[in-house]
Formats: sequence, structure tokens, C-alpha cells
Amino acid sequence: MSRLQESLRNFLAVEGVRTAALIDVATGMIVRSVGKPDPDLAATAACVADEARAARSALGADSSAGDLLEISTVTGGRLHVSRILRSWPGEGLLLFVDLERGKSNLGLASLRISQLAPAVLV
Amino acid sequence: METTGYVDGKLADVLREYDAARFSGVLRVAGQPGGTVYLTDGRISACETSGAPSLEVVLLRSRTVSEADWDAAFTAAAVSEREMTAELVDRELLGAGEVEALLRIALADAMFALVSGRVDGWTEAPAADCLLPLAPAARSGWLLAEATRRGQVLASFPGPAVRAQDRIAAAPGAAQAGRVLGRGQDELLALADGRRTVRDLAFALGRGLFETMLQLARMRASNAVIIIPYSKEPPSPGKPAGAVPDGAADDQTVTGLPRRRKDRQPPLRAGEATRRNFAASIRMLRPRSEGNPMPDGT
Repeated sequence: MSRLQESLRNFLAVEGVRTAALIDVATGMIVRSVGKPDPDLAATAACVADEARAARSALGADSSAGDLLEISTVTGGRLHVSRILRSWPGEGLLLFVDLERGKSNLGLASLRISQLAPAVLV
Repeated sequence: METTGYVDGKLADVLREYDAARFSGVLRVAGQPGGTVYLTDGRISACETSGAPSLEVVLLRSRTVSEADWDAAFTAAAVSEREMTAELVDRELLGAGEVEALLRIALADAMFALVSGRVDGWTEAPAADCLLPLAPAARSGWLLAEATRRGQVLASFPGPAVRAQDRIAAAPGAAQAGRVLGRGQDELLALADGRRTVRDLAFALGRGLFETMLQLARMRASNAVIIIPYSKEPPSPGKPAGAVPDGAADDQTVTGLPRRRKDRQPPLRAGEATRRNFAASIRMLRPRSEGNPMPDGT
């Protein structure tokens, strides 16, 4: 059993979570994912990595890569919470969690994800 | 090298066949860059290729792990006959999940370099150990799909797709004061001298090959670098690749440096003229009692 998959499975216990994935920010590659199969996940992962890079750029040249902690996106039916786990090597690793908006509360989901996130890479 | 397969882009099919047959062993791939693929029950646990930096290079060059710590872990793993990955985790140099993630990233990059290069053939060999195997090993289907995706991403940029052998030069004015480059682009620009290839830059900075290609494609789009397409003729030592052609109005390379010409004497450095005159005077004073002729035959 993959250690990463084991730790990512913990996120499925959070109310409303459909998918949890670890994404390489530099390449947009899904390193590991768990949850409901989603044929669009690869494309979503690449977009999420682009968002993280764009957010870092928006923070300005004076900010360090570690300044960006989380990006939340709210759509009509979904909540996307992307949390930076590492800022190195390369551009780091990002945890992406896709939630059903109707079954989730963004604040609570963000809090629960931030509590579980540190254990992913340990 | 004796090849058991004959390929024209068939390596992907063969890897899928090995996956179905749950093959365990080593596949030595001939070509450019070529490499070695380690298979366990049909899954790929490692790929060594000169086309992409290994995890060791990435960790050391990015200073995620210091050389001293790496050497100590390597020695301890060798002495105790343990896996290097376990040693790195036990020494708290990396987390277990982190090792798995970084190994999957490095493996995907190595496979991308291998399958997107030229494949001349391959041979099977018995199972062998490698330094940093991925456990559990990855499905070849996933790695091949990722390599395909990477190719599509690079092809989506305007202009010819960046290739590993292309040489990179800084565009004129790219390093102007006040110009803000994206994260990680300063280091690439500093090393882009018109002679280093994309692959060279990836190794020098300890970044993935695809990561470097992607970054350079973005930098080309923002006119920060010039990508000089790969040609089999290496650039001549005296003429940087991408230099302005002879006869051009300005006498500079695309990087803004003075262009070196074979037919032009280099300007004398400060004090060099004085030193040359002094040397000539010394020769004039040399005794000729042994009958040694002077350079002018006298």
C-alpha cells in the first residue's frame, strides 16, 4: 500500500470530499490521488498548479515561496481547497481537495484540511 | 548492443506488454538518451537515464539534502544493506510520503526523457538493484500517459516545441535592471549562455527536465530567452551558438557579448603591450656566443 495514498485517504473522511490529490506545482502532474474517479482531474491539476504559480507571482518578487499557504475556489457546485505542503525542491507540492459545495462549509473544510495536511508527506 | 526489439515508437507498447505479463527484470534501452528501466511485476520501480536528473541530483543540487548528509546515509545504507530510501527517512532527512512523492516525480521525468527521445532498441536483463527504487512501483500506463500529456503541454506553446537538446541563450535585454522574472527564472537566465542545452540546465540546477522545458517555453514566450534548435553540428568553440551571422551590422552575439572572430587579433590587455616590448628587448640582449641564430637569421 502506498504511504501517500494511505495519508490522502484520511481526507475522504471530511464531509463532502470527492477527491484528494497531491500535485507537483512545477509540472502540474498528479503524484497520487484518492476518491471518486474523475476523468478531468489531470486537466484540473494542471490548472490548479497554474493558479498556485500565478498567486505566487501576484504576491510580488519580495515575497518568499512559503508565503502562499492556501487557495480556495468556490463554484456553483464545488469547493476547491489547494494547500501548499512544500515549496521545494522545484516549485513544491500542493494538496488539492475537491468538495461538494452543498455538503461542505468552506471554513470548516479549510480548517480540517489544514489539520490533516502536515501528515501527508511525513 | 544486441537488441531484442526493433522500434519505431514501440517502446510504449512493449512496456504495456511487460505490465500485462508481470515481468520482473531490467530493460536496457538503446538510443538517445536511452536508459535503464527497472520492472517489478510489470510495474516500473526506477528509470535511470542520462536525459533527466535523478532524484539524487535533484535533492543535492536543490540543497534539500546536504552532500554530507547524503554521503552519511549512503554509507550507512551500504554497510547495513538497507535501502537508501529507508535510511533517508530514518535520519529524518525526508518524510516517507515525501520520498514516495519525489521518487514518483523523478521517475515520471526520467520516463518522459526516455520515451520522448530516440529509441533504437532494447535488451532484457535479469532483475538488478538500483539505488532509489519506488515502492510501490508505478504502472507503466500512468507514466506513459503522463509523458504524452507533457508532450501536449509543450506543443501548446507558440513556436517549435522545446527539446532537451536545444541550446538556450538569454535574449538581449532579458537581464535588464528592474525587469521582474518569474520564480526560478533568474537562475536559468544566468546559465543561458547559448552553449548549454535544456538538459544541461536541468542538471546544473537540479530541476526536472520537463520542469525546465516548461519554464523555458514560458520564458521564450515572454522574450527572456532564445531557444536555438538542436543541430547535429556542435557550435564551433569560437562562435557561440545563435551568434549574429558574419557581416551583420552589429558585432555582438545575441547575448550581447562581443563576437569572437578567427581573423581578428584580440585586443591587448592592459600592460600586455609593455610586456611584449620588454620580452623583445630581452631577446635582443641574449648572448649569441654559442652561435644560436636570432629569429631574423642573424
